[in-house]
Amino acid sequence: MSFFRRKAKGKEPEQPVDAKVNRAPTSPQSPSLSLRNHHAILEAAGPSHVAINAISANMDSFARGRTAILKKQPIHMEAAHFGDLGRSSVNYLASETRSRLSKTVDQILRDNVAMPYYIQFQEARGADHLVCFWLEAESFRSTSWSRVRAHSLNSVKHSSLAEPASTPVSPDPSSNSDMDLPSIPRPSSSRPLTPSPQDANSNSSEGPMAQLVHRDSFSSVVDQRPGTPSRADTPTRQPSHRTGTSFKLQSTNALKELSDKLMKSIERDAVNIFTKYISPEAARPIPITEQLRNDIVAKICGEDGLVDPNCFVIAQSVVFAIMEQQHFSEFLRSHHFCKYQIEVLTSGSVFLADILFCESALFYFSEYMEKEDAVNVLQFWLAADNFQDQLSAKAGQYDGLEAQNDAMILYDKYFSLQATNPLGFDDSVRMEIESNICREGGPLPDCFTTPLRQAWTTMEKVYMPGFLSSNLYYKYLSDLINSVRADEFVLASTPGQGVASDLDRSTNATEGSQAQQGAKKVAAIKILKNFDEAITVDIASLDPESLYQRPYAGRMTFGKVNELGQFIREAEPEPDVKKSKGSMLSLAMKKLVQGNSDEAQEEMAWKIAKMIVNDVVHQAHHDSPGESTKL
Amino acid sequence: MTTAPYNYSYIFKYIIIGDMGVGKSCLLHQFTEKKFMADCPHTIGVEFGTRIIEVSGQKIKLQIWDTAGQERFRAVTRSYYRGAAGALMVYDITRRSTYNHLSSWLTDARNLTNPNTVIILIGNKADLEAQRDVTYEEAKQFAEENGLLFLEASAKTGENVEDAFLEAAKKIYQNIQDGSLDLNAAESGVQHKPSAPQGGRLTSELQPQKEGCSC
Repeated sequence: MSFFRRKAKGKEPEQPVDAKVNRAPTSPQSPSLSLRNHHAILEAAGPSHVAINAISANMDSFARGRTAILKKQPIHMEAAHFGDLGRSSVNYLASETRSRLSKTVDQILRDNVAMPYYIQFQEARGADHLVCFWLEAESFRSTSWSRVRAHSLNSVKHSSLAEPASTPVSPDPSSNSDMDLPSIPRPSSSRPLTPSPQDANSNSSEGPMAQLVHRDSFSSVVDQRPGTPSRADTPTRQPSHRTGTSFKLQSTNALKELSDKLMKSIERDAVNIFTKYISPEAARPIPITEQLRNDIVAKICGEDGLVDPNCFVIAQSVVFAIMEQQHFSEFLRSHHFCKYQIEVLTSGSVFLADILFCESALFYFSEYMEKEDAVNVLQFWLAADNFQDQLSAKAGQYDGLEAQNDAMILYDKYFSLQATNPLGFDDSVRMEIESNICREGGPLPDCFTTPLRQAWTTMEKVYMPGFLSSNLYYKYLSDLINSVRADEFVLASTPGQGVASDLDRSTNATEGSQAQQGAKKVAAIKILKNFDEAITVDIASLDPESLYQRPYAGRMTFGKVNELGQFIREAEPEPDVKKSKGSMLSLAMKKLVQGNSDEAQEEMAWKIAKMIVNDVVHQAHHDSPGESTKL
Repeated sequence: MTTAPYNYSYIFKYIIIGDMGVGKSCLLHQFTEKKFMADCPHTIGVEFGTRIIEVSGQKIKLQIWDTAGQERFRAVTRSYYRGAAGALMVYDITRRSTYNHLSSWLTDARNLTNPNTVIILIGNKADLEAQRDVTYEEAKQFAEENGLLFLEASAKTGENVEDAFLEAAKKIYQNIQDGSLDLNAAESGVQHKPSAPQGGRLTSELQPQKEGCSC
């Protein structure tokens, strides 16, 4: 299920070059584009709208996502029944599961969803040039390499194609390469290639290509390449080429043009980046030493006319270190990160890994599991996962006896026939554990892989859908939303104050605008407001009894319209009304697995909407007009 | 433990940290089960237990994360510090080394938790007076110097065990009241829950107040 997705995601960072190649033409623009969109949405509407939009707009994708995830099951999947510590994905690997809600700098920089939030955060601190430089340099590096490769492949093609044509030609020892072939039909096309920043070098633009091909040494043909003849020489050879091989020449010329354009674009990009971020005259230069700057210059204007695709790597690592040390922990505490977390959580596809590996989500999930009387499953999973982690981290200092003692503790607690907290693992699992523990030399980190997988599956299939539709989850989300709104409002209206006091919350209390003075006073009022607000929300909008009601039982109507204008169906909708597309099998699986959690999810979205509407209504009554436009 | 739904208004997250063998798990067990585990095995990674207490008329559920003290689990247990409202830092009064390591535990706690996480120092095994290796006064002074609450307790006899958890909860609740702890922040370690059982007893008490000030 999610493991497959996890694996795919896990692979991304390992192959940034390939991945970025595909996105190369757009990535320098896309952060700013999505950033602008985000700006537009968030400034016009506030984060609550982000949440609502995300929830409602992604209801479809939630349904589709679940179907897609179900579809990804391999055919050789084990038992189809979930809920009894059912078995599921055979590819569960603890080390690959991470929460999207907990991020490192590196993960953020490679995550298209989190990136806009990080850029916004940096902008607010006036340091966005750091991250923009890093992104552009990274994209430059990977696309340059890919262009170089493409170019090299082309040149191989050229050489093999060109050989028969070029041999009769000339006294010129360099003739045995495509590079010399003139572009007969389009002589003018040679012109654009020559102006380049490397004019200082005596080589023509053919030089980079030649040297490159030489460097890659694709063919022995290339090795004999000297420094380049100038373009001016080539037209003279045109007439002799015309005979017989014009077709080949034309295709190779097209390829050659492409190659030339590729190399040219590398130079152009490098110069762009340099001008924007590194040159002393740049508007926002990144903080690097003079020596580093000179080094970069040298790499761009290489003696051989070549741009080193890795020319920015050192500067990138400098910038990375700055971001990591000076900015990142603030980011994790900022409302921008909260917004990102909200987006993940309301995207419609939250994975168990997101919950279990994020402490704040785990806090709520633990409470939920306890309510569901299933806390033992979670406890076992935590303990076994920790056991696995610390044992794998041991590396060279593995102590078999110690590992065995640890494993035995878990065995006695959860597996043995006299277990204090039996989980219901069947005999085959128990025997497997026994043999793993009694292994000669001590148990290995993968000792508990099977029951871990089963516990994971149980939590994922049986408990997580319920959790995601529960009031607890709603509370978690609303806490996140509240932190965002509070911070944003403060930043928007009182740029001078660094205090995270919540001015917009001071509406229900009697002190109102006086609360602007003094953090403590404001915070106190905020707390009062919180109590009121929480009670308002919880009592007026959220009816706890609804958890215990069966809304569709015993009614005789098709539906009714509630105070928000929402039509509430009384009857169960037809299956084909469901937005998910999928085979009958996957639909049936989905129903079996998640029941009507789609509806519950939608219900929760409405609850959040109600909560926010309530709060806004209160604000509108008490705030100045300026504040109410924040909506 | 069976808890009626919505029987409590808050959930506070606690962590228990300290050297191995000081009695963290026994303290937790004594608190949640009111029993002393004579030969409890060491904790693998982390475990949690819960219990509902009452502070200032409010019912509060404590979700207490008991961490392994062995050094080899240090890396994995660090990830559970985050978002804790309260932390119990435990040492063994009969083993000086466990007291000496407190500064290391305190550093971790300060670095990884919120600035207003309440930390309480517990000197466990107070029943073993004959083997005492750390005096009450010096530990008290250490606690005061570092802004920590302090109690000596015994998981075996139960002495001061409830107070240990209660004192921290009172301090947290006070922080909520005076505003230094943001109730609605996701990393606060506090869940504020609807306090109404189905009958709505609590809600009906509070509702008139709300109507009074919301207009």
